[in-house]
Amino acid sequence: MNQPAEPLASLLAACARRDRAAFERLYRETSPKLFGVALRILKREDWAEDVLQECYVRIWDHARDFRAGLAAPMTWMTSIVRNRCLDWLRRPKLEVIDEDGELIESAESDYPGPLAELEASADARALKKCLNALEAKQRQAIALAYFDGLSHAELAGHLREPLGTVKTWVRRGLLRLKSCLEAA
Amino acid sequence: MNCRNQPQLQDRLAAEYALGTLRGRARSRLQRWMREDAALARAVAEWEARLGPLALAVRPVAPPARVWDAIRARVGSTPRAGLWDSLAFWRGLGLAASGAAAVLLAAVALISPQPPVPAPAPVVLKVPSTEMAAVYLAVLSDPKTNKPLLLVSAGRHSDQMQVRTLDPSIRVSGKDLELWALPAGKAPRSLGVLGDAERAMVKLASAADQSLADVPTLAISLEPKGGSPTGRATGPVLAVGPCIKFW
Repeated sequence: MNQPAEPLASLLAACARRDRAAFERLYRETSPKLFGVALRILKREDWAEDVLQECYVRIWDHARDFRAGLAAPMTWMTSIVRNRCLDWLRRPKLEVIDEDGELIESAESDYPGPLAELEASADARALKKCLNALEAKQRQAIALAYFDGLSHAELAGHLREPLGTVKTWVRRGLLRLKSCLEAA
Repeated sequence: MNCRNQPQLQDRLAAEYALGTLRGRARSRLQRWMREDAALARAVAEWEARLGPLALAVRPVAPPARVWDAIRARVGSTPRAGLWDSLAFWRGLGLAASGAAAVLLAAVALISPQPPVPAPAPVVLKVPSTEMAAVYLAVLSDPKTNKPLLLVSAGRHSDQMQVRTLDPSIRVSGKDLELWALPAGKAPRSLGVLGDAERAMVKLASAADQSLADVPTLAISLEPKGGSPTGRATGPVLAVGPCIKFW
């Protein structure tokens, strides 16, 4: 990850010691990226704001659970945000389009743009190389699921393919990705 | 379906969880298993690390300032050099008590839906300070729109705090509003749950001079009936504002 890992880890450690100034610096440093992640999945600014708020309270509350050796700080925080977004999308009934027309960019609008930016670090370059080694369908399914939070059923609808086919793409794509990354 | 002792299935579920395609009951079931099964939790963490660099590819978007305001209100205040030293409206208010008090009065008088004037001209109060009511005053505003929603006041030597709801739409049926003190550098402290009346009274633990002396900020959160079950704000912050010594 291209974030300066040591400073973020130190900021999280300071948060664990209840250092609110460090928490504010952590927020300034990381919130644009995490807000981008939430917006991309949720497609609505108001929901993304609520989720971001909850996630930073959670990061503050759980900073002491962060183990620098186990995960990169950004990965840890991103997982908190993505998981909260996915739980949020499970809420009973979702309007896909905001009444106020505040629907932000649709799923495919800048796809595959993000993949092109994956040059930031060695990890990211390896991931990009391995994604590019996948079949196009597998790569597209995985990217849509990760960036836009689409479920198997939503992927099937989006890609106009049977559910079983899409599940197979995802499963095989992930397997190939793992062996490619392990070989790297 | 039980994935224990089936490493391949376990790894597949971990991968789909990290990717986000595992949904519904399968997702909550895996979250439960992760808490009991360290190997599964590790497999999920490994997958999150594998896919994590993807998040770097997402275009960053700066969140609006109100998000930080609300987060800050939920985790307590920063002792120094924090938000409250830098917020535009704090500067606008001016730290001189007279200026701040004048703006408070203006805000109460206007109760307009427009955002507050960014930098009001300092107003010289004609009233000698000895004749001013010795009260703590706060106007709590919607952190998103800055619309004033509640007016809070307490006599300096009184343990009764008056809360007047300026905008009844802040109330949500089946929920209660809880008033919080955000002392400098400490965790938020509940001052009490507001009733449904437009004018409510909140009993402080001690006279305002003790209860509010170190409290630069008050906030209102939306809570289950009867107030937060945890002793900390659990719901969204609906209103926040500076608490000022008005004398």
